[in-house]
Amino acid sequence: MKKDNSDAILKIKNVSKAFPGVKALDRVSLEVFTGTIHGVVGENGAGKSTLMKILSGVYEKDEGEVVFDGNKVENITPIQSMNMGLSIIYQELNLINTMSVGENIFLGRFSEMGGRTGVHSKARILLDSIACKIDTQKQVSELSVSDKQMIEIAKALSFDSKLIIMDEPSSSLTAEEMHQLIKIIHELKNKGIAIIYISHKLDEIFNFCDVVTVMRDGHVIDTRNVNAISRNEMISMMVGRTIENEYPPRPNCVAETILEIKNINTKKLKNIQLTLKKGEILGLVGLVGSGRTELVRALFGADKVNKKSVYIDGKLVEINNPIDAINQGLAMVPEDRKLQGLLLQFAVEKNISLSSLANLTSYGFINEKEEGAISERQIKSLNIKTPSAKTRIQMLSGGNQQKAVLGRWLEMKPRILILDEPTKGIDVGAKYEIYLLMKKIVEDGGSIILISSELSEVLHMSNRVLTICDGRINGEFDPSQASADEIMAKAFEFA
Amino acid sequence: MITNIKEYITKILSLQKAFLAILLVVFIMALFNLNPKTHSEFFSSYNFIDLLKSNSIYLILGLGQTIVLVAGGVDLSIGGVMTVSGIVAIQLINSGVPIPIAIIICIVLGMAVGAINAYISVYQKTEPFIITLGMGVLLTGVAQQLTDAHPVSVDFSYSEDFLNLSNYKLFGQIPVLIIVMLVVLAVIYWVLRSTSFGRNCYAIGGDYEVAKYSGINVLRNKSLPYLISGMTAALSGVMLSSQLNAGNSIFGDVTALYVVCAVVVGGTSVAGGIGGAFKSAIGLVLLGLLSNAFNMLRIDTYVPYLPTALQGLIIVAIIWADCYGRKRKREEV
Amino acid sequence: MTIQSIIKLIRNNLILAGIVVLVIVTSLIEPKFLTGANIENIIRQFGTLIFVALGMTFVIMAGFIDLSVGGIISLVAVVTVTLIDKIGQGPAIMIGISIGLICGLLNSFLIITSGALTQAEALFLTYGMSLVYGAVAQIYVQGVTQFLTYSKTSISLFDAINSGSIGIVSISFIIFLVCLLILYIVEKRTYIGRSVVLVGGNKVAARLAGVPISKSIVFIYAVSGVMTAIGSVILVARVTLASPVMGTPYMTQAILAVVVGGTALMGGKGSVLWTVMGTLLLILMGNCLNLMGVTTYIQYMLRGAILILAIWLDNRKQFSEGN
Repeated sequence: MKKDNSDAILKIKNVSKAFPGVKALDRVSLEVFTGTIHGVVGENGAGKSTLMKILSGVYEKDEGEVVFDGNKVENITPIQSMNMGLSIIYQELNLINTMSVGENIFLGRFSEMGGRTGVHSKARILLDSIACKIDTQKQVSELSVSDKQMIEIAKALSFDSKLIIMDEPSSSLTAEEMHQLIKIIHELKNKGIAIIYISHKLDEIFNFCDVVTVMRDGHVIDTRNVNAISRNEMISMMVGRTIENEYPPRPNCVAETILEIKNINTKKLKNIQLTLKKGEILGLVGLVGSGRTELVRALFGADKVNKKSVYIDGKLVEINNPIDAINQGLAMVPEDRKLQGLLLQFAVEKNISLSSLANLTSYGFINEKEEGAISERQIKSLNIKTPSAKTRIQMLSGGNQQKAVLGRWLEMKPRILILDEPTKGIDVGAKYEIYLLMKKIVEDGGSIILISSELSEVLHMSNRVLTICDGRINGEFDPSQASADEIMAKAFEFA
Repeated sequence: MITNIKEYITKILSLQKAFLAILLVVFIMALFNLNPKTHSEFFSSYNFIDLLKSNSIYLILGLGQTIVLVAGGVDLSIGGVMTVSGIVAIQLINSGVPIPIAIIICIVLGMAVGAINAYISVYQKTEPFIITLGMGVLLTGVAQQLTDAHPVSVDFSYSEDFLNLSNYKLFGQIPVLIIVMLVVLAVIYWVLRSTSFGRNCYAIGGDYEVAKYSGINVLRNKSLPYLISGMTAALSGVMLSSQLNAGNSIFGDVTALYVVCAVVVGGTSVAGGIGGAFKSAIGLVLLGLLSNAFNMLRIDTYVPYLPTALQGLIIVAIIWADCYGRKRKREEV
Repeated sequence: MTIQSIIKLIRNNLILAGIVVLVIVTSLIEPKFLTGANIENIIRQFGTLIFVALGMTFVIMAGFIDLSVGGIISLVAVVTVTLIDKIGQGPAIMIGISIGLICGLLNSFLIITSGALTQAEALFLTYGMSLVYGAVAQIYVQGVTQFLTYSKTSISLFDAINSGSIGIVSISFIIFLVCLLILYIVEKRTYIGRSVVLVGGNKVAARLAGVPISKSIVFIYAVSGVMTAIGSVILVARVTLASPVMGTPYMTQAILAVVVGGTALMGGKGSVLWTVMGTLLLILMGNCLNLMGVTTYIQYMLRGAILILAIWLDNRKQFSEGN
């Protein structure tokens, strides 16, 4: 789709890339034009990140042609790609935490920029150009995620980038920070810089992208102007089938209270009070940094608290560490699967049996037969795709890994299950399976506290929604009645 | 008023712990000096120079180690390098090789060992802790073989010149050894702070992958520190032999651990990306100062061997406090 | 069996292969190798080092390290020997082993209270404690080496430990086998044994999943302390003296033995059996070289070289597994 008076800054033609056992990209072609915000969507495994890594020089394509700014691109290294004017801002942020802002912007170019003084003065100029007031001498580890993104953008600008690829930039941003980011993206667009914007959040694509490319299974399905495609069309292109409903029907719940938090007080949380009913899915909505993860971690005994007063089934309980929490019938699927949830080098079986070990132990000895049975049970009931129970869990896809973590906790038959971003980085198909699972859990009498950055997910799955802002719970909504805007407004509000 | 004091105290506590410890030691020694029974020569210029002299070897070792640590590696072979270097220097000189040439040969040897360490650890991506430990063991064996486990020293005809290498007093007061140490300190400080290579080391130690993608030649930049460490270890070996006119095969891996420990106490992190020449030096000076203070107070005569125990306790205390500080900052229970 | 599958088998069991090769080569070069006397000699060498190394294995599997073993050996040795005259051999040995346990518990206490999570932090804490334990040993005996003395009429436990045997199998070897059996069962089948390797795999995830971290830390250092103490008693029995510095060389040797055996230094993978094989390899190598008349110095060199080679090869194997 050619825009008038625009040139294609990037032309990709029939690019393919295969890894052992998997064809990641199959004759992918697309064009990106200067001064456009070009969204790219697709499930996990669609090939988005492989394509970006080829563009940025991390991978080498097997076949096909890439032309950037009129020049053919072959065999480049990441630094060559940056010098060419193509920058990429990864989701994990490529910054060195122990070094200063200025040095990070000019990483690897210390002498070229004139040593200490040169680096910091030039960094200052760059940051000022995007209205960023951060001190260049500050250590990056002290910055928030959104500040770090500003540094990455400054870094991209320092290379005179003509195309900036942003990979899931909003997953850790508050709405306010997102606002700021969108403003900057528009400014970059006005300067004639092209942006490739990868996101799972379809709302964002519709909000500010000009063009969108949908990928699936290593192919480009289509590239269209954003106003020429509907949300359902996009989803069905991503998934390859029409999804009638993204979510299963909301379950009913009992009125009986199972959990009551009379007070939780930590460094960040101020006098939290909430109740959870039996068979209920309670959604917790808040911007990242509002205290939502801190709340569930405090509840679960994972973090220090100043004051804590929690009642389960009407009785006061003491939860000082995760083991206490488990003994009280709590379970938590943590936010970061790779770092906090999985033992990557261990077998699927061992990851699943992880929390049940105490139950499998008598006189100090583990019943290994039972252990094997547990994992088989969960693999089957959750439909976990794995060559065998003894396969290293590292080899599984994100969705299957998450299911294994879930299986671990389901085996404990928890009364209260905490899910912190349970579908992050998981494709639409696996997501739906997890939603069905959640429904079954509450139908069987369990209760769920659900934290998610995807508002539609929380709205569709929860019976009740609490908003948390700046460490305080400041709103309670019935998602079947309230609108998304109302709820978000509360989450923004500063007390 | 109260918040000001609180802020003031927090600011002081956030200063380098080792530096605070040094101030504490000096303060306590000053107190001891007030009592004529426990008065000592601690604050004399003679003692000051002696202190520097006996710690210069460790300082030279520690400074080379600092670059390796900052780049995210570790070099536990320095004891072995130091030992072999000292012995080789003596043996070369005894066979008539002129002193400067002998020194250069030893330093090249140290560089060669560093190169091997670097190749296996960096290029072959193997755990440097165990590789350099093994190398240290290997070199200690070499040292034993070379000397048949007896100490060696330089023949009489060369000994004066050789001894002068470390011990000659410039301006009648300051031994060459101290000057050499100061030069090494200045060089390493400058390298880490103001050169591309030095900054690259911080980057590599901070995050290897990020550094790699920024176009830094990680293999080369992570290898060079090992060569530097090998060279400083070789240099210190020569200087030590010169100081004592004796080459001995006993040092081995204990030295390496002590030096790394002292450097960490000073604030250079084993994780990489954090630290510097002065931070390391302060850690080393602290431990040396403690030893010195104990000597001055003649604690040895009251309870023999207490100094080593106290030194161990101080190391444990500072590392413990460092860990605890990190624990308090963490939200985790 | 195709050539490929044989190569794969060898690569997966490098240490075992090394041992087999060593045995074959040595018996060809030195016929004395396979004599009863020599085998008895080899068995006898499963002394101090193997005990310390076994204890060290759990610590490393959990992603920590214990550098205090040198100090513990010295301290246990001097205390045990000096107490013999006062309370008798049996009780003295019991006290000695308790001291090992106490040191281990103290180590774990320091690590837990300081919130140390990384191997590096544990390294420095235990190294510092090694200096302390060693210094305590020095102070206790004023730096004087203590000699084992016993009257001719009484039975000496130490003598029994050192030279007693059942057939060609020495008592110390039997003690080793018993310890190995217990530790192996603990490692493979018990809850705490499993917890140890899980902690080494991913401390954060293990904690959030309910694995008892603190208990595991106490366990590994307690085991290390006790095993080290047993090793110390065995050492005393062998050399009939206790010197306040006798423990120093064992620290590096133990780490070498564990790592050569294949236990990953960073934790999460390993086994006491592997440590046995690693130590066996080192012992066989020493034995073989001795028979060939190679000096101790060169053996020392070779030890270092073998370690480097073993790690290097293991590393390359990890890489080819598509890490």
